[in-house]
Amino acid sequence: MVRAFVLLAPGGPAPCRVLYARTFGTPPGAGPGGPRQRLRRKEQLLVVARQVASQCQLLQASLGRPSSPQLPQLPDEPVSLQDAPGGVFQMSPGDPFPERVTVVWLSVLALAFALVCEPQENLSLAEITLRRLAPRLLLSLRLLGPGADVLLRPDAADGLLDRLLPHGQMLFLNERFLQAMDRELGLKVSR
Amino acid sequence: MFTAAAESFLRQAREIQEEELRRFTARVSALLQGPEAGPEAVDGLQRLHLSVAATKYPRKLDGKFVEQLQTVLCSPKSPEQIQVLCAAILREMSPCNDLVLSCDEIQDTKLLSLVSSVLLAQGSRGEVAAVGQRVVQGLERRLPEGQSARFLLPVLANVISLSPGSLTEEQTNVVSKKLADWLRYASIQQGMAQPSGGFFSSPRTKQPAPITEVDGAVATDFFTVLSVAQHYTQDQWLNVQAFSMLRNWLLCYGGKELDTLNPGPLKKEDGDLQKACLIEAVTIMDIICKQDSSYVCRAVSCLKILHSRICGDATYARALLPIAQFFLNHSKQAAVDSDAIYKHLFSDIPALLFHNPSLAFEFVQFCKDNSQLFTDASSIFRQSFPNLFKFLAWNSPALISEFVDLLPFLLDPGTAIEIFHLLLDLPCLTAALDIQLRAAALPASEKAGADPAGKPATCLEAFHHPLYRSMFQYLLRSRAAPEDAPDSLVPLRQLLGSLAGSPRVVQCAETVPVLLELFFRVVAEFADGSLINQLVVLLLQRSDQLYEIPAFKEDVYRVLGSNLAMLCGLRPALVVELSTEILEFSGAVSNIQSKEAIFTHMAWAVGEFLSVSHDKRCTVEQITRFFETLEAVLFEITQLRPQASTPSCAPRAISVLMATLTKLAARSQDLIPRVSMFLSKMRTFVQSPAVTSVYCEEDLEEILIRATELMNLLKMPSVAQFVFTPPVASTRFQKEVNDSLPLALRMVTQLLEPAAGSMPV
Repeated sequence: MVRAFVLLAPGGPAPCRVLYARTFGTPPGAGPGGPRQRLRRKEQLLVVARQVASQCQLLQASLGRPSSPQLPQLPDEPVSLQDAPGGVFQMSPGDPFPERVTVVWLSVLALAFALVCEPQENLSLAEITLRRLAPRLLLSLRLLGPGADVLLRPDAADGLLDRLLPHGQMLFLNERFLQAMDRELGLKVSR
Repeated sequence: MFTAAAESFLRQAREIQEEELRRFTARVSALLQGPEAGPEAVDGLQRLHLSVAATKYPRKLDGKFVEQLQTVLCSPKSPEQIQVLCAAILREMSPCNDLVLSCDEIQDTKLLSLVSSVLLAQGSRGEVAAVGQRVVQGLERRLPEGQSARFLLPVLANVISLSPGSLTEEQTNVVSKKLADWLRYASIQQGMAQPSGGFFSSPRTKQPAPITEVDGAVATDFFTVLSVAQHYTQDQWLNVQAFSMLRNWLLCYGGKELDTLNPGPLKKEDGDLQKACLIEAVTIMDIICKQDSSYVCRAVSCLKILHSRICGDATYARALLPIAQFFLNHSKQAAVDSDAIYKHLFSDIPALLFHNPSLAFEFVQFCKDNSQLFTDASSIFRQSFPNLFKFLAWNSPALISEFVDLLPFLLDPGTAIEIFHLLLDLPCLTAALDIQLRAAALPASEKAGADPAGKPATCLEAFHHPLYRSMFQYLLRSRAAPEDAPDSLVPLRQLLGSLAGSPRVVQCAETVPVLLELFFRVVAEFADGSLINQLVVLLLQRSDQLYEIPAFKEDVYRVLGSNLAMLCGLRPALVVELSTEILEFSGAVSNIQSKEAIFTHMAWAVGEFLSVSHDKRCTVEQITRFFETLEAVLFEITQLRPQASTPSCAPRAISVLMATLTKLAARSQDLIPRVSMFLSKMRTFVQSPAVTSVYCEEDLEEILIRATELMNLLKMPSVAQFVFTPPVASTRFQKEVNDSLPLALRMVTQLLEPAAGSMPV
């Protein structure tokens, strides 16, 4: 299962920002209740985001790419995910989640998408899920435009996650299933 | 990206005051109460969500409003978007004290899923169990018209993941049976397209067409996730959901009914998903066989065939890992020889696919999960460590913490030396891998290479050049080869110097000090005298033979220096046994400047351990020889009028040299007059104008104080001898000894000069 999904702006010189984050359930009994539980959740996600940002910047450097990539001219221009860099890393128990987690991430232009997975999860499927989420989120939330949809339309992001990652369950959807789902959502995703 | 607009909204949301928020909440509440919650209500809820989400510390919303959110969420009259937003706000605020939400009365499965997302976010075992019960109830009964179980399965998957004990055994069996049904019996007819509506569209329904497999052949077998259709029926969706959650279900519960799962035929299309399915299927088979070993034989034969089909295809490499894991878990029981599988995995795959970050990560995880395999020194696993380091060399930032866990399992008396060299040359390995990749990408015509008689002009040309080929081959070897090490890799390191600035190489270099430190810590636990001696000799040798990256060399010297002291502490006799090498190193004045960390620790170790109490073979001649060598170095660096060629060095080095000479003199008292005279000249040294321009005042003062203390100590030779000859059993490291030494010196100084109140302490 996926424990959390994070959409962030890695920054570069600027600090990294969490633009949208969704956790799928809170394991019972794992720590303080009340407002501290909420605070802990937010801090855990921030730690993940920072680590993703750091790995992303290091990978971009090693690939010889500029850290602040050029944005496409039009916000609706289809973005190719072919060369989108990505990676996998592990976070040890206690740092920041009680159990070990594996983080799978994908970077598209000035954004990064990350799945926080339980150990022993199918990482190939996690990568596929990210590659499907990313263009649909880019489209739905107009992430490459000048607006702030990502902050103001959590329902759009939730709607996508409910289809592609319901309750953190990754799905083995083949292309045709995916098309059927896109039709249900009214999305026109370039293929 | 984080736009200016987003920045502005976020700031506003964070800065909104309690009073303003209260007024805003009241407005939204009024909109929600109205007959039709329209776009204004949506907008209000969206902004409210941001206000709640933007701060780390919780926003207090009015209790009545929170209750209203829950009512609106559960009401069937609320538009879906409003429901989604209410749920989002409630989740964001979780855990909530004011939650009255319950899933008991909700019939709509989609809404049930949404409400569950809020309940499962509370972190309460009771809530999780309640959701679990309700979902199982929904799955057991016949659902009302138009409702689909499709939305319930992910909730169930989440429930058992959060709290595996939430279901009773009976409920588990019920669900298992349903899952089995959906996996096996999903319709092989296509679903119906929803009528497009409109007055002129034909109301005639088309005959449902059969499902095709991915390559177009009509599916005669049961539906699998790889089947293709234009529209999907509900139970086909359930098939997909059931397969997707199967692994977790099996891990939390057994599934007797699920044992006849067939992974399905292998097709060439639908690329990545197919591979992911394959990995999943193999993993599921592994779990099933662990729970019921009667399936092992059948599974083994199936997987052997699968392996032979995919082992030649690099795009299927990631699937080799779960297959290998399966054989590791079950081959003994099946009495099957799977060595060929492991051999292929460890010998061929890393060399071919080190540059694939996902494979690299999973491969290293595999090694960590099966670390017991590495304890057998002769096994293919242990012997393949050079291949494993390729993953690290190429993907350093992502894999360094994994290797910190893995390295101890690779180290033993047989591999320590080779791994020592490998760690020091890890950035070279990165550079060599880069060249290997580029060479492989060249068209065949260019691969012929340059004139073998001449020198290669570029690294790429050198790759096939006879002068360098064997060095490249050694560096890029797949297996441990302690006997095949070439005499020297110096020419190769120099050649690769042009890549020393490449980001990937630099990132790799940054991981080396951490691994080196760990290396010494682990080796110290098992190394015998012979290995320690070998390491010290190599350490001194390799200090001249490092890849030319200044920051890298500095860090490596620091680690080597402190661990040199540690090794000498473990085996003090080595100072006598390796006196030739140590004298050679200590006598080279250039070492004090270029490798100060190592030199200083070496000098300290000599002072500390060159004594008859540590090794009976320590003679007066040896002490004298060391004394003279170090004296010459100290003389060179403390000239009154330093020339351009005089190396400048850290003041600490001067202090350590003075202390070492004093210690040696305390053991061979003929030397005392020489040292005393030298130390007395230090006052002139620190006051000389040429010197004061090189060193800062505090450092010079420290040197003078130390010189004076040492001189005073020597005035009482028997005390000096006592202070400078610690008990043999001491294995304390330098810091402790250095801490106690100044204290001892000051005590003695005060004894000798009780009236010397002007002495700064």
